Amino acid sequence: MSLLRLELIRLLRTHRLWILIGVFGFFGLVGPLTARYLPEIVARFGGGVEVAVPPPTPELAMAQYLGNALQIGILAVAFVAAASLAFDARLEMAVFLRTRARVRDIVAPRYLVNMLAAAVTFIGGSAVAFVGTVALIDAPDVGGTVLGTLLVSLYLCFSVALTGLLAGVMRSVPGVALVTVGALIALGIVGLVPALAPWLPSQLVGAYDALIAGGPFEYSRAVASTIVLGGAAIAGSVALLARREV
Amino acid sequence: MAEFAVTTSDLTKQYGETMALAGVSLQVRRGSVYGLVGPNGAGKTTLLGVLAGLRPLTGGSYSIDARRIGVLPDTPTFDPWLTAFEVVDLARALDESGVEEPAVMEALARVGLADVARRRVGGFSRGMLQRLGLAATVIGEPELLLLDEPAAALDPAGRREVLDIVKALQGRATVIFSSHILDDVQQVCDAIGILNHGALAYEGTLDDLVADRGRAIEYRVTTRSDAGAVAERLREAAWIQDVRVDGEAVIVAAPEARTLEELLIPTLASLDVPIVSVAPARRNLEAIFLEVTK
Repeated sequence: MSLLRLELIRLLRTHRLWILIGVFGFFGLVGPLTARYLPEIVARFGGGVEVAVPPPTPELAMAQYLGNALQIGILAVAFVAAASLAFDARLEMAVFLRTRARVRDIVAPRYLVNMLAAAVTFIGGSAVAFVGTVALIDAPDVGGTVLGTLLVSLYLCFSVALTGLLAGVMRSVPGVALVTVGALIALGIVGLVPALAPWLPSQLVGAYDALIAGGPFEYSRAVASTIVLGGAAIAGSVALLARREV
Repeated sequence: MAEFAVTTSDLTKQYGETMALAGVSLQVRRGSVYGLVGPNGAGKTTLLGVLAGLRPLTGGSYSIDARRIGVLPDTPTFDPWLTAFEVVDLARALDESGVEEPAVMEALARVGLADVARRRVGGFSRGMLQRLGLAATVIGEPELLLLDEPAAALDPAGRREVLDIVKALQGRATVIFSSHILDDVQQVCDAIGILNHGALAYEGTLDDLVADRGRAIEYRVTTRSDAGAVAERLREAAWIQDVRVDGEAVIVAAPEARTLEELLIPTLASLDVPIVSVAPARRNLEAIFLEVTK
């Protein structure tokens, strides 16, 4: 039993992997459906009120997926990652690990597994949304979809790194998860400052819609800063957790 | 190899205004079982945490001459979705001794959990978790074991098993064993350190402690014969310092525990009386403990 296997077992036996698959898979199905049938839904339940509904397009369907999936998905990713990375939330459990392995060896597989789980399930949901969109509406731009999906996956990996950093600051699993979501929202608000926006990880989420729509989008600075900030968050979490008293 | 596996010098640990450890200097002989005794809040867990490297010091220093250290917290907790086998196997995999997988089942059998090796630990009682923790601690045969109240949550049979395991480690590993159950300490420890309010109030052997306090080591003997008559016959043994009757039991005192351990049973056997129980007289040691920690 290695620490990597421990994390894989944790993901499976606690059903957390199914939660992520469920969230992203569900919205992958619902996104194209709502985009395709929104005019009919509004007509049926609008109560006679005339509402201007955009015609269903592949871009709209994929945007529906991203918008819905990220709202709940970020929360799910943060909770799943917090439950794994806040390993000293229970001191006796921390004693078992800390007296046998270095903190960096404890957290490395946790980061790896949680980042992979978040990215792979999001990519899976995106694939479901893509197939649904092709079937119900039309094919979105393939290159844009692939690139946009990878950029959002990077953003989710950054969310996991941020969760790890906060796990080094506080010990409560729900606390870490909720503060992570709060911090990501705050980063989004900071993104309203035009000079800062291109450098922020939240810019990667905006890239998704723009790239699928086939438009050019400058994301290289956001990619660079996300990698640097994510790496710094991981290094910071290792330092904080190693220094923390058990 | 150094004579002492653990040496601390003027160890202090402060939390805000609270002095959890106030200049503790102790020495633990290699291969011995060292009992760390003290009332709740005396600093036992803090001291073990410092020695385990889990709590930074405020002052002083310590040295540990052991490559591998096994640590057992007072309430061992594991991921509830792991099986008992997986918990010990994880401990084995993280240990640097290179023991092979068959050692996992051996360790579980040693603590009486072989039958439930494939069961998830989420349904384990506290006693089972404590035994599981002990199995995970002893696998790989660490040179130094830091055991925090290892028998506290166990029923009498479980306690006996744990004490036997600890006793079996004597000479093979150095054990620091914290407890507030004086009977346990008396049964397995070569030396004790009494902590009180973060300070070491006494360090030495139990015999010396009792001798220092002007008391003899006492055992309580219960037989099916008349206690007065048994006491009368025991008084004839030259090695016995004192004999008195306490209800239906006879209290036998000697200046040293070893003398009592070696000679009491043969002496009772020679009397040919049906023995019900022979055990250390708790009140004596408790009285000394209370005196030291008051």
